[in-house]
Amino acid sequence: MYRNDEMMKKLDEFLLDVQKPSRYIGGESGSVFKDKENVDVRFAFCFPDTYEIGMSHLGMKILYGLKNRVPNYWCERVFMPLPDMEQKMRERNIPLYALESLDPIKDFDFIGFTIQYELCYTTILEMLDLAGVPVLASERTSLTPIIMGGGPCVCNAEPLCDFFDLFAIGEGEEMNLELMRLMEECKKNGLTKAEFLEKAAQIEGIYVPSLYDISYNEDGTVQKITAKAPAPEQVKKRVIKDFDSVYSPDNFVVPFTDIVHNRAVVEVLRGCIRGCRFCQAGFIYRPFREKKTDTVLNQTKTLCENTGYDEVSLSSLSTSDFSDIEGLLSTLTAYTSKNRINLSLPSLRVDRFNEKIFEEISSVRKSGLTFAPEAGTQRLRDVINKNIKESDVLKGVKIAFEGGYTAIKLYFMLGLPTETDDDIRGIYALAKTVIDEYYQNPNRKKGKSPSVSVSLSTFIPKPFTPFEFEPQASEAEIKRKQKLMTDICVDKKINISWSKYDVSLLEAVLARGDRRVGKAIYLAWKKGCVLDGWDEYFDFGKWKEAFAECGLSMSFYANRTRSYEEIAPWSHINMLVSHDFFVEENKRAHEGTTTPNCREKCSNCGVIKNIGGECCKKI
Amino acid sequence: MPNVNTRVFFSKTDRAKYISHLDLYRVFQRAIIKSKLPVWYTEGFNPRLYIQFMLPLSLGQEGLREAADFRLTEEIPPEEVTERLNASLPLDLRITETSVPVMKNTDIAEAEYKIEAELSREKFAEFAQSEKILVEKKTKKGISEVDLKPNIKNLEISDKITLRLPAGNEFNLNPALLFEAFEKFSGEKISRIKITRTRIFAKNGEEFK
Repeated sequence: MYRNDEMMKKLDEFLLDVQKPSRYIGGESGSVFKDKENVDVRFAFCFPDTYEIGMSHLGMKILYGLKNRVPNYWCERVFMPLPDMEQKMRERNIPLYALESLDPIKDFDFIGFTIQYELCYTTILEMLDLAGVPVLASERTSLTPIIMGGGPCVCNAEPLCDFFDLFAIGEGEEMNLELMRLMEECKKNGLTKAEFLEKAAQIEGIYVPSLYDISYNEDGTVQKITAKAPAPEQVKKRVIKDFDSVYSPDNFVVPFTDIVHNRAVVEVLRGCIRGCRFCQAGFIYRPFREKKTDTVLNQTKTLCENTGYDEVSLSSLSTSDFSDIEGLLSTLTAYTSKNRINLSLPSLRVDRFNEKIFEEISSVRKSGLTFAPEAGTQRLRDVINKNIKESDVLKGVKIAFEGGYTAIKLYFMLGLPTETDDDIRGIYALAKTVIDEYYQNPNRKKGKSPSVSVSLSTFIPKPFTPFEFEPQASEAEIKRKQKLMTDICVDKKINISWSKYDVSLLEAVLARGDRRVGKAIYLAWKKGCVLDGWDEYFDFGKWKEAFAECGLSMSFYANRTRSYEEIAPWSHINMLVSHDFFVEENKRAHEGTTTPNCREKCSNCGVIKNIGGECCKKI
Repeated sequence: MPNVNTRVFFSKTDRAKYISHLDLYRVFQRAIIKSKLPVWYTEGFNPRLYIQFMLPLSLGQEGLREAADFRLTEEIPPEEVTERLNASLPLDLRITETSVPVMKNTDIAEAEYKIEAELSREKFAEFAQSEKILVEKKTKKGISEVDLKPNIKNLEISDKITLRLPAGNEFNLNPALLFEAFEKFSGEKISRIKITRTRIFAKNGEEFK
């Protein structure tokens, strides 16, 4: 088994001088080591954030296990070092290395990033630079390393096209192996990078941006997107058809140090039946597919046994929508309680919340409970198609209060399409009703009082949602609404907080940006922007300068209403849900008409037409 | 249910030297769960897997014969315990021996260290001859000044440096203090240093077992 001893020696010289050194050294149980001599393709799997965040991510664990199952492929992990570590690495000319072999990643065949949120874009550039790899794709001419990206953000990868060689659109399990096979072949036959990319572009789901030309209208909108042969005109998202038997990791790399989510995670379903109109995940992960109860149980057992974790969490967009949720919970708790394992269930919908589910989660620990009504009035909840009623929220809250909880957190968005001041007042009214509900409970503990935290985020229109045409509310408008909220909130038991507007604005710009935005990202990074998702590192002033210097307007991307006919920068990407459906849903939103969930009635979103039916019908 | 006190001796080297003492409990806990050894949990409202480490090891130092105790609820041959734990632990933590505790952690009096460092042997020998080697030691009560000189035993300086220092709950001296003092004495920074705790001794002079 191989390890770069030279690098180990260098690291030993200073690792004790950085915070939590164990996250920079690898060697955790479950990490995969191979003999370098027998490896043909090497993949550096990068998570553009810190170890604590990246190591909590399930997608990385899946692809890590999947690739390492192939004897002659080696996939290793890479994270962004925090400034104290990065500074020491730069002082000593230590390039970014992978945690298993400790080899510099610039010598790998692939450097792949999973791109989970827009605010990690500058971190990607910083990692490439720290690795000693030119950040601009045009400056990289040799076959390796190929810089690739995947994850939800690449459904509109345009702002990142200057930096990447290719993107994997959709679910990565099959595509990643196909790309590695292609690389193995290309290396053997001495092909060039251009030849590799042409072949890669013919794999379904692979988007090679350099094979597409974009022209713009005078008003700044996209005029035309032209594919160069052999790239397809439309890149179609990859989907795993047989989800029940898709690869699921039988082991995790278990960190030495504590991380954000330090537990076993089992995926129970993909996609979402709900169709909340603001939610990108609800559309880009369609169709809805679920595993069998037995499959989930077996995977839970295997994973707990192999990792030694004493906590397991079920992962999905909406776990309570699992068809056999009660059966699943009783099957799982039979196993977990016998083995001293805590079962945690994030992502439960309040309208599916009942005593039974409550019992399962409350046996773990009594922290606060969070519900997400998203909007303060029924009218606005109908606009966004969040099909829950006030009575659902109150029922959930009642169960929670009766079960001994006193702290409730409520999530809302400000700046949703059609929002009026009445909707803002509705948020306060709902919070107040929750407080009242507490005092309705005859068995409440005397001397204790309830608290409701109202968390207000700013609505961010995202591509591939019915709201992709909508403007983001202006700063003045959001500030006015936040003030209105504090003005009407007189109850001390209600605590209001909100997210920073600057951050939401930047997210909106990057989410719906075109290729020209790449220049602004580059400039912002050059000015020192990195880890923008972290409050302590976020510097909006630099971003503003960067956009001004390249003559781009943030509000053009964020605060403009886009017509249904406008060619979106992402219109050559096919996420399986049709443009017509988004237009239709947008119209219905403005009429205040809801759309039933996929289980009640098929809304003809286009997925069936695109992949041939089977998946959706099984729901 | 029988309650079999069990003591494992283990090495903590290489990458594992960066596991903090706090994290070490978690690493052992998971390895024990993975190994499926029948172990004793504390009683009470939040049962906890019982593991006790005999002598904490500073972050970054290696240990060749560290000790930890837990309890088995069934008799299991020691070789099997060693084997099953080694199959579950990260590569750089290795169980070298499983046995039954003979001494208590309060019996610990001294530890032996091996130090590999890039420094001038002559200068270090000169430093070791000093009448007093005063260092500042952090304790629970604050910072106090200690003279290392009378506490250093069995000092040998060759290509490596070996020595013994007081260890245990009551009075423990970290060898790193000695080398910090040497840096002050010589005015040069030691760029590369590797400290390994090789053995632990009891008050009666015997090796801890």
